[in-house]
Amino acid sequence: MSSDFETYEQDFGTLTADVTNKIGRIPKLAGEEKTQLVLNVDKQLEEVRELLEQMDLEVREIPIQSRGMYSSRLKSYKQEMEKLEKDFKRSRIAYSDEVRNELLGDDGGSSESQLIKLREERAHLLDNTERLERSSRRLEAGYQIAVETEQVGQEILANLHSDREKIQRSRDRLRETDANLGKSSRILTSMLRRIIQNRVLVFILGAIILLTIVLAIYFNLRGH
Amino acid sequence: MDNSGKEKEAMQLMAEADKKVKSSGSFLGGMFGGNHKVEDACEIYARAANMFKMAKNWSAAGSAFCQAARLHMQMQNKLDSATSFVDAGNAYKKADPQEAINCLNAAIDIYTDMGRFTIAAKHHMTIAEIYESELVDIEKAIAHYEQAADYYKGEESNSSANKCLLKVGSYSAQLEQYPKAIEIYEQVATSTMDNPLLKYNAKEYFWKAALCHFIVDELNAKLAIEKYEGMFPAFSDSRECKLLKKLLEAHEEQNSEAFTEAVKEFDSISRLDQWQTTMLLRIKKTIQGDAGDLK
Repeated sequence: MSSDFETYEQDFGTLTADVTNKIGRIPKLAGEEKTQLVLNVDKQLEEVRELLEQMDLEVREIPIQSRGMYSSRLKSYKQEMEKLEKDFKRSRIAYSDEVRNELLGDDGGSSESQLIKLREERAHLLDNTERLERSSRRLEAGYQIAVETEQVGQEILANLHSDREKIQRSRDRLRETDANLGKSSRILTSMLRRIIQNRVLVFILGAIILLTIVLAIYFNLRGH
Repeated sequence: MDNSGKEKEAMQLMAEADKKVKSSGSFLGGMFGGNHKVEDACEIYARAANMFKMAKNWSAAGSAFCQAARLHMQMQNKLDSATSFVDAGNAYKKADPQEAINCLNAAIDIYTDMGRFTIAAKHHMTIAEIYESELVDIEKAIAHYEQAADYYKGEESNSSANKCLLKVGSYSAQLEQYPKAIEIYEQVATSTMDNPLLKYNAKEYFWKAALCHFIVDELNAKLAIEKYEGMFPAFSDSRECKLLKKLLEAHEEQNSEAFTEAVKEFDSISRLDQWQTTMLLRIKKTIQGDAGDLK
């Protein structure tokens, strides 16, 4: 007896699950499919009602002592079925999201998402402005450096010019010194020559004097 | 560092040298070894002076060098004497600027006597620098710089001459001798215009000359700028020229804020140096002064 009841329970469970599923799908569909599904659900609800009646009969055959549990279960099943029927009715006239989308066009229609988009755009623009400012600052710094470099270059050129003149002057002086050295070496050689000449002269004169003295002594002795 | 030891040694050497000089003064010494002794004394003085330098006793070193120099003069060694005077001047620079200037003047006299104008000019510059920095006598400094520039010109070293002239110019402008400054700057600018190495400096000199014109009279400045642009086309491209034109406008309208703005803008790119800021300030005062008069 109770095993029948349990099989009925299981069938009831599966049928209600199926019906809930189909009820969920109904609003999204339209036209042919919808009517078919609706008929399906109708049939399943009929089956569910029959099951409930059979469960009722079963419960009455059970002796009164253990009837309590089964009768309470039966009551809850009946409530569930009523709820399913209500849902079913509602689903046939419900608006679904798809219909709404079709009406309003794929806007992402809600104002919240619009706000979010605006905020993102603003952040993006601020980012861009900052980047522009940074690059213009860098450009200015670069320009400053270029001007400074030019000034440094000017100074270096001026230094180079004065160094060039100094080098030229020292080269000229060096040439002059060279010429002077040449002159002085010539003078020294001539001095040396004269010294040699003088020495030769002294020797010759000395020789002549010696000769004269010797001759004088000789003639003196001869004269004796 | 045994500085005190060196000093004692130096004092000893000085005493020795003094003795030698005195001994050579006597008749016999003069007859026989006089010159020889004086030369020795000179050498000893020089060594003593070097030791004083090591001991960082600058004034004693300076006086020792001066003694040596005078002895050299006695012996008619002009060149040695001049070098000793220069050494004395260098030593005194650190201790007693006035003495240094005296020694350097003596050295300059000897050099000009010998016809070595380049070196004389260099020493004029040194003296002028001392006046600039330690004794702060700008007029004398100007005088010496001018002398140096003349000597350099005489020796055809134009860039050194220009260097001195520029200093003369900036100092005379500071002392409000504007016509002189203008003339100098124009001269320098025209001479550097043609030289390929120096022509990048020419625009700076024109800018300074125009500033001086500006202080004197605004109309002058306008004519001057036109003249410079005619002479040196690159001048009109320079930022300084643009600044000048803006300043002229601001001056015409007696608008000191526009003036300050233009100056600030220029300054943000390349700093204005001390001299230029002083000149610009003077110009600005004339603007405000005029505005005050109008009121």
